[in-house]
Amino acid sequence: MQKGGFNFDLYQRNVELIEKNNYKVPKTTKTGTTIVGVVFSDGVVLGADTRATSGPIVADPNCEKIHRISDYIWCAGAGTAADTENTTGMISLQLELLSLSTGRSPRVRTALTLLKNFLFRYHGYISAALVLGGVDFTGPHLHMIHPHGSTSTLPYISMGSGSLAAMAVLETGYSSKMGEEDAKSLVHQAILSGILNDLGSGGNVDLCVIKHKSMEFFRNIDTTNSKRKFRKKLPYMFKSGSTKILEKEIEEKMRKMEIVNEKENAIEELEEL
Amino acid sequence: MLNEFSNNTISLFLQKKKKKGSFFNFSLTTFSPNGKLLQIEHALKAVESGATSLGIKASNGVVIVTEKKLPTTLIDENSVKKIQKLNDGIGVIYSGLGPDYRVLISKARKKSQQYFKQYNEIIPVNIISRKVAGIMQEFTQSGGVRPFGVSLLVAGYDHNGPQLFQVDPSGSFWAWKATAIGKNSSNSKKFLEKRYKPDMEIEDAINTAILTLKEGFEGEMDEFNIEVGVITNDKKFRILEPEEVKDYISELNL
Repeated sequence: MQKGGFNFDLYQRNVELIEKNNYKVPKTTKTGTTIVGVVFSDGVVLGADTRATSGPIVADPNCEKIHRISDYIWCAGAGTAADTENTTGMISLQLELLSLSTGRSPRVRTALTLLKNFLFRYHGYISAALVLGGVDFTGPHLHMIHPHGSTSTLPYISMGSGSLAAMAVLETGYSSKMGEEDAKSLVHQAILSGILNDLGSGGNVDLCVIKHKSMEFFRNIDTTNSKRKFRKKLPYMFKSGSTKILEKEIEEKMRKMEIVNEKENAIEELEEL
Repeated sequence: MLNEFSNNTISLFLQKKKKKGSFFNFSLTTFSPNGKLLQIEHALKAVESGATSLGIKASNGVVIVTEKKLPTTLIDENSVKKIQKLNDGIGVIYSGLGPDYRVLISKARKKSQQYFKQYNEIIPVNIISRKVAGIMQEFTQSGGVRPFGVSLLVAGYDHNGPQLFQVDPSGSFWAWKATAIGKNSSNSKKFLEKRYKPDMEIEDAINTAILTLKEGFEGEMDEFNIEVGVITNDKKFRILEPEEVKDYISELNL
């Protein structure tokens, strides 16, 4: 059969189904998302929210949107959850093969090229918008990758449905002389802005700080927005008699047990076992 | 919009074009009247005349060493790296034909990534050994190809602890506590039989390995004409730097 790309054989059938037979197209799980990346003096900070939506429903209130490409190259992904996970997964494997073959630690620009070439082949049908950041032997790098395969290199980036809210915070707070704590706090605020002002983003804040030969992942660094204030106490207790009994039937399943041989200290023996 | 018919004819055409290179439909490795596969026997001979490599499995790690005998001093030893990594936790060494080894390493690395893609788990040592053995067996039963002229020693540390496997040109593989392949393999193995202890620790094993290699070494052994690879319970395979190897050698000379 054919080698790669999408198979459009069923395209006509699908169009007919939708138009004539009122077929409902299944909804993909999108990561509504706010993802952010910022370069600081010693490295890069990546941040993401943790809400995955399927239409108007929150499919996963605490998903991981920051993916590992290599030890010091990480990638935050917005768009279709399956696309971002599998794309970053595949490029991660390719990069490991390459680094074993060349005997060098991988470069961020290599990951960038692999990702953009991959996405371009699919002409935007793979809905993965990525913020790629890392530190290699040439220094810290931060890039944004659009689903069609175009890339940009910038000192601060935001993507996803919450990108406008996050960018507002970044534009206000960014300075080229930021240190690690400032950068972390800026990313944190930017993600919070997305979580609060965008419906597609929510949940907790994840942060990833990458410096030369060091990576710190702060999973759920901020959970104030995901604590459910109004929660019914479990278990559900219904008043006795609230369900009407229509019929009653009692079946004898087991005859009464007889104690044939009672052992002293039987309980102690069982505990020893 | 391409329909299925034209899709298939185009792919068939491309396949036919691809097969142009391999004219042989029959295997070149066939049984002799006394039940042997002579090509494999010859391949094993090629291994036997290759540079010595040996490996020792300790209680908390594995060490593999090889002699890096270069034909002339003009060759840049830094460009020759005989011990290779398959992934972070598995290292390999060989005896036999270098180019065949390179091809196998390339295939083995790809297999280990494919395994990770499929199971989201780092490939265990016995499974990658089995897969490499499978590749080597393919080449004893396919059209127009010859067996690989290498035996491999695969050293790794996974959830089953430290392991050392040998993979042969025939495609057979098995686990060793300690072994040697290549030129002085039988003498080295006798030496190892006496020295091996099951509760050996990795430092001891490294010393024993270098000592065993020294026994059959022609000429002066130094940190530039041997390679040492070690993996311990941190599960990271490491090829020792020449300075570290120099320390071990000087310890032995004392």
